[in-house]
Amino acid sequence: MEWIKYILAFDAEHPLLFTQFYFWGFFALVYALFALIMDRVPDSLGNKKLHLRNVYLLFVSWFFYYKTSGLFLMLLAFVTLSDWIIAQQIHKSNIKNLKSPLPKILLALSVTIDLGFLAYFKYAYFLTDAFNDLFGTSYSIVDKIILPVGISFYTFQVISYTADVYHKRIEPVKNILDFGFYVSFFPQLVAGPIVRAAEFIPQLYKPFRLSRRAFGIAVFWIINGLAKKIIMSDFLAVNLIDRVFDNPLLFSGFENLFALFAYSLQVYADFSGYTDIAIGVAMLMGFYLPMNFNSPYKSQSPQEFWRRWHMSLGRWLKTYLYIPLGGNRSIGFGTYFWLTVIALVSATLTGWWLGIMIPFGVLVAAMIIVPRVIKDTNHLKLFYSNLNSFITQVMGGLWHGASWNFIIWGGINGFGMIIEKIWRPMNWHIRFVSITLLLIGLCVADSMTSLPVWRLFAVWTAIVWVVTAIRYIYFLLEGPENKFTKALGTAWAILQTFVFITFTRLFFRSSSNLDPATANEVAWATAKNMVNQIGGAWSNAIIPEFLWSYRWVVLMFIAGMVIHWLPTDWKRRYRLWFSAMPLWTMVLAVVAAIAVIYQFVTADVQPFIYFQF
Amino acid sequence: MKPYQVLSFIAITMAVLGALYWAFPEGKVWHIESAEYTDYTENTDTIAEFPVFAEQDTIVPVAPKPVIPKVVVDSTTDSRVFLSAFYASLQEAATRKIRVLHYGDSQIEEDRMTMQIRDVLQARYGGAGVGMMPLAQTIPSLTVKQELRMNGRFTMPANGPRRYMVYGPKSTQRKDGLYGPMGQVAAMNDSLVAGSEEITAICRPQGHPYEHWQVLADSSIHYTTSGDTVQLYGKGLVYGLSQESETGIIVDNIPMRGCLGIVFTKMDETQLRTFYDKEHVRLIILQFGGNAIPSNRNPGTISAIVKGLREQVQYLQACAPEASILFIGPSDMLTQLDGEWQTYPMVPYMDKLLRKMALEENIAYFSLFRWMGGAGSMMRWQEVGLAGTDGVHFTRAGARKAGNAVAEWILNGMD
Repeated sequence: MEWIKYILAFDAEHPLLFTQFYFWGFFALVYALFALIMDRVPDSLGNKKLHLRNVYLLFVSWFFYYKTSGLFLMLLAFVTLSDWIIAQQIHKSNIKNLKSPLPKILLALSVTIDLGFLAYFKYAYFLTDAFNDLFGTSYSIVDKIILPVGISFYTFQVISYTADVYHKRIEPVKNILDFGFYVSFFPQLVAGPIVRAAEFIPQLYKPFRLSRRAFGIAVFWIINGLAKKIIMSDFLAVNLIDRVFDNPLLFSGFENLFALFAYSLQVYADFSGYTDIAIGVAMLMGFYLPMNFNSPYKSQSPQEFWRRWHMSLGRWLKTYLYIPLGGNRSIGFGTYFWLTVIALVSATLTGWWLGIMIPFGVLVAAMIIVPRVIKDTNHLKLFYSNLNSFITQVMGGLWHGASWNFIIWGGINGFGMIIEKIWRPMNWHIRFVSITLLLIGLCVADSMTSLPVWRLFAVWTAIVWVVTAIRYIYFLLEGPENKFTKALGTAWAILQTFVFITFTRLFFRSSSNLDPATANEVAWATAKNMVNQIGGAWSNAIIPEFLWSYRWVVLMFIAGMVIHWLPTDWKRRYRLWFSAMPLWTMVLAVVAAIAVIYQFVTADVQPFIYFQF
Repeated sequence: MKPYQVLSFIAITMAVLGALYWAFPEGKVWHIESAEYTDYTENTDTIAEFPVFAEQDTIVPVAPKPVIPKVVVDSTTDSRVFLSAFYASLQEAATRKIRVLHYGDSQIEEDRMTMQIRDVLQARYGGAGVGMMPLAQTIPSLTVKQELRMNGRFTMPANGPRRYMVYGPKSTQRKDGLYGPMGQVAAMNDSLVAGSEEITAICRPQGHPYEHWQVLADSSIHYTTSGDTVQLYGKGLVYGLSQESETGIIVDNIPMRGCLGIVFTKMDETQLRTFYDKEHVRLIILQFGGNAIPSNRNPGTISAIVKGLREQVQYLQACAPEASILFIGPSDMLTQLDGEWQTYPMVPYMDKLLRKMALEENIAYFSLFRWMGGAGSMMRWQEVGLAGTDGVHFTRAGARKAGNAVAEWILNGMD
């Protein structure tokens, strides 16, 4: 009986994950029945056959979700039902009376329900603390609130559906089971990609189609995803990254810095690996999910990075937040509203009411004055665009959780994008003078205070200054621009972007995997300790010893980055080469790949070594 | 492709993998790290034989009250009988200072565990202050925020005066053995050719009142104190600073990162003997053994390490004849073997040898490993946020819990 319970019942200790053998056994069984439906049910039944397939996959998806999140399945079902009904009503009201306020009210209701659940699970601790601070009460959350798996993803998906129906971009789905399938499709339910209704729902009514090449590509994505997740992500995390972020003070500055860069690779490999598997699994069933990562560390600017990283979320934020805020056209109620929310949350989290409210007031004043003073449309567009994208970035940070570190993370990303936009068109004289002044300022700050954070910034700015100086001299000498110099410029832009994004991750990772009740305090302490170690406890002498002792970790990191930076064309070619393999060779290749991956699952962990005393 | 073709592909792949698994039942074709462990779990005494303490996360400090201690433990089964000298000395706590030194590895860094022991003992027997700290604290403490200024300039501890550590790499060790009671020393003006050096240490205790400063330094070092600030001048060795009261219990946190504990015999005997005697050191807590576990897979090596620790105990007994010694063994520690997180096979063995050694040397022994619940208990600690993801270190909450348990265990040995 125990094994039946193990197979069928929810176990919080063992959620169903793509990296477990259980999942692949489950998938093989699911696929067997799927094949039976697709091959044995006659095509003459037409839509009924597709409907049978969809209903079957819906129940499979619900079982998958139950195995992953238990009774939170009820929440998923409720959100599905409420958005399906509301979207139907919006559509009917739209048809009946174009000027009726009802669709807007219904849309607001839907968003309130969806975001209400999300807010409860993500921000209950923060909201309780804020309420207590404000009214002097001492309420507390008795039971620990567990975040339902995938709630952020399916919430965004249902909001996009209802908003698209409201904006008449799509027709509502007539059959609730089809809609349920769209919301719950198991490959992408837990970690995306966030699929928009317009992209996915038409596929529900198309017959199964999987070309030989598409099959090969699907298998490739699955193996690629497993390798990323287990070799690059889990191996690096267990052997170095987690332990450094757990207690940065146990490690020297170099170890902290290395762990931070390794985390950049780990988080990419983890997230993109999972979505690679999702894309591959969906393809095997004839469904095509959108690309979610496009070699993000090849980006030459923060803006480009956000177009390549978690692309489905980026598109969602652009469509449903940035553009409604006004995009580059205007600022309106939404901009003021969300800016106020950000300021209030930041002040509550930090307790620095004056320190937050003064810049907030200055910004609001600028928002009122600038449109009246600046008449140049392009400059105004730049102002609106920067402001709205900054808010979008910070809200993107806050979406991850109510922690000051997440706000800083979003804020730094927002600032990075703005600064890059200003920096890029600058002429060389101004660039050089600006970076020189910045370097002098940081050196003065470092020598006056010796605070590690200034040391850290000063060192990196010095590197940027050296490269800028070389480029400036080259510009003054009117050196020729050719392929080589262009390639160097591109490499430098990629490196700068990678370093910048990695630095922002310091605040992101510090806030992750924490008990929400103490997350804010712990996250800030971790980030501060890491900066102090990197900027203040550096020791060149231990670097060779560290590199040798952690050679497997170092090699994996280097291999991961090299593969990531391979030209896109090369990757496309080996993908196609794999997909065109004879099937028996492909079986052997898959078995060999899994055997290698398995060695990393069973590998012993790197023992603890102290290099700094 | 047709779905049944895809299904056939999946089935064949799984069949080949199944055959491979059958051929290599242990799952490993090759190792990233080769590991050969011997299972010593079966040789370990059962957990039930050892006391399991009630969970108590916080102990509310109460006003000090004089307690006449009386040893109540059964000398045949409970090693706390070896703490009798310490228990007896507590009678004097109302009129003089009684010192407890807590030496340990990274598990006690940041004043973890020690702060709980201090809070409990001071609440019952009086005393104030966090005790000794190094001149420049490279690892922040939870109980004292320390700031260092050299010639008026804020200085990171790593850039402060040169440090010598008995437990550090060779380049940080001294030939004369003059490390002071903390096993580490800061040398003022050591790296300067000429010119005077002035160092200011600002040590802000976090909720720990104290009555006065004590500076442990060469006589060539001059100092002045004001509030939470001490200014030092001159050339010489500074062994540590201390914020403490003149009576009651003072508990010093002395973490030695990465240390096996086999270092005390390298420390000057006269210096230690003088300090232990003058400062009324009546209890020495040694918390080591954990650092031997990850890199040693051979029981012979573990035995050799315990032999080394026995020599340290004997050395300390000679240096501090009036003090009791309590040895705290390693906690449960996890590693990944064959893809499964599990206790390092050497932990139970190390625990058993340490306990045996302690009883033979007439010192008390607290088995952190068994108190936690034995093999695999660290996983349960991780689940409830008491231990970190490395499977080795406690979180702050975990250290608080363990520190309280040790303090309660000590006190429960008396009326």
